[in-house]
Amino acid sequence: MAEPHPAWSAPFERGVLRKLEPVLPLEDITPEWAWGGSTGRGVKVAVVDSGIDASHPAVGHVEGWVTVDEGPGGTVFDTAPHEDLFGHGTACAGIIRAIAPDCELHSVRVLGRALLGRGSVFVAGLRWAIENAMHVCNLSLTTSKKEFFGVLHELVDQAYFRNIMLVTSANNMPVRSFPAVFSSVISVASHDSDEPYLFYYNPEPPVEFGAHGVGVRVAWMDGGWITSTGNSFATPHISGIVAKILGKHPELTAFQMKAVLRALAANVYREAAG
Amino acid sequence: MGDELEEARAKIARQAGEIERLRRRLSDEGFAEDLRQTLTLAAAAGTIGSPVRHGLLLQMIVETAAAVIGARAGSLFLIDFATDELVFEVAFGSRAEQIEGHRMPADRGIAGLVATSGQPMAVSDARDNPQVFKDIGDRIGYHPESILCVPLFYADRVLGVFEMLDKVGAPAFSREDMRTLGMFANQAAVAIELSRTYRHVAPLIGELLASLGDIAADQKRTLLERSEAFAAHAEEEVSYRETLDLAKLIQEIAWRGDEERAACLAILRGFADYLRSRPEPEEM
Repeated sequence: MAEPHPAWSAPFERGVLRKLEPVLPLEDITPEWAWGGSTGRGVKVAVVDSGIDASHPAVGHVEGWVTVDEGPGGTVFDTAPHEDLFGHGTACAGIIRAIAPDCELHSVRVLGRALLGRGSVFVAGLRWAIENAMHVCNLSLTTSKKEFFGVLHELVDQAYFRNIMLVTSANNMPVRSFPAVFSSVISVASHDSDEPYLFYYNPEPPVEFGAHGVGVRVAWMDGGWITSTGNSFATPHISGIVAKILGKHPELTAFQMKAVLRALAANVYREAAG
Repeated sequence: MGDELEEARAKIARQAGEIERLRRRLSDEGFAEDLRQTLTLAAAAGTIGSPVRHGLLLQMIVETAAAVIGARAGSLFLIDFATDELVFEVAFGSRAEQIEGHRMPADRGIAGLVATSGQPMAVSDARDNPQVFKDIGDRIGYHPESILCVPLFYADRVLGVFEMLDKVGAPAFSREDMRTLGMFANQAAVAIELSRTYRHVAPLIGELLASLGDIAADQKRTLLERSEAFAAHAEEEVSYRETLDLAKLIQEIAWRGDEERAACLAILRGFADYLRSRPEPEEM
């Protein structure tokens, strides 16, 4: 029996074809156009991490919670508010909040007590974020386990087709870490200047963006603060900027977002720019 | 182990001049390559490649890493997956002897975070947060100012964590320090994994030397020949070879994934239970 024929060409038929707004010519894109006046309002940002401490002054309100865990009967999703086990998720949330103060933060806790099975919990957390229609996912975590290559590839494609921006940390160790190495994600490593809005574009992927990740003052456990270095802390800078851009331009697709970010990168030469 | 360790320390001390020269030349790109060459030389000279037990090898890796990076203390933890704990394999610096062999839960602290996330991380104003870093403070008897922590990767798995405390002469560990420690972590992971798999020194040295890259070809050949001869001798023992095969098979299955590991465990447990329940053979 033949498979039903997919109507891939249907969206292009006369009378059906949607009219879309143009984006500015790339050389005209400025920070003012991209995020001027935006606070990230209306943008749902999932922090897939160790949890968020909502009582930390750097974080403010956390809109949604889910703790992902492996139970005896399979994966368990608990939507009660939780703590941050390490401080890492709070650090990421604080950075995002500082850049996009009115975005909706959702804490997806996948780093837990058990070390084994962490990969499958991470996958389940990412799937939750995609199925619950987050707009931006901050993934300062990755997995290097090859057995998750396939399922993560599928999820990353799903996120791309649903226009969900996955912002992921590159791992500085000599391992391939997923989903940071996939082409549709916004992958981030660190530069060492301390300007939160400054980022660079790297024309030689897989890691395409460099953001503030050295000596970053971040919120930590017990209401504390630490100064920290790692790509984990560069990533939420880009997540915050993406949330801020989406707050003003919710129609942007994932591939347009990358083009806009590239146009705004500090190492892109602009003749006219002041 | 004491004498061997003293001898190794003396060798490391003799290399201090070389290391100091390297550190003065610490430039972004050149340093890693210089370090690699130093490690290669050290291997050729016998500091790393001499037939020592893997515990001693790890001790040397931790001490050399601390000397090259300039850290007051350092330790290496391995993950015990059965209990979700980090076990101190090797410690160097203050209270090192008391710490070795100790365990701590993997769900807290910077080392726990790096073990669970697989992401390297440095913290520089740790003393402002005595509560946050209480675990380290309790462990070593003082509160460190700066911490550098990288995962030990072997293939695609995190085996443990390599931690340095208190950068000498600077308030924080740098990105270059992170990269350098990462290289030492790779050496340590290779040593640990090979020693776990083969429980044998000769192949370990061979693999370690191979992983260090190019050394003088004739030196390398001699070393490899010696290690192969040693390994071949051991492999003549049928029971050794079969046990090795079994270990390799179990490792291969375990690395496949959680479900495969659980299945393998269930099958082996079932077989062991059956053997235990079988009546003991009559005494002859």
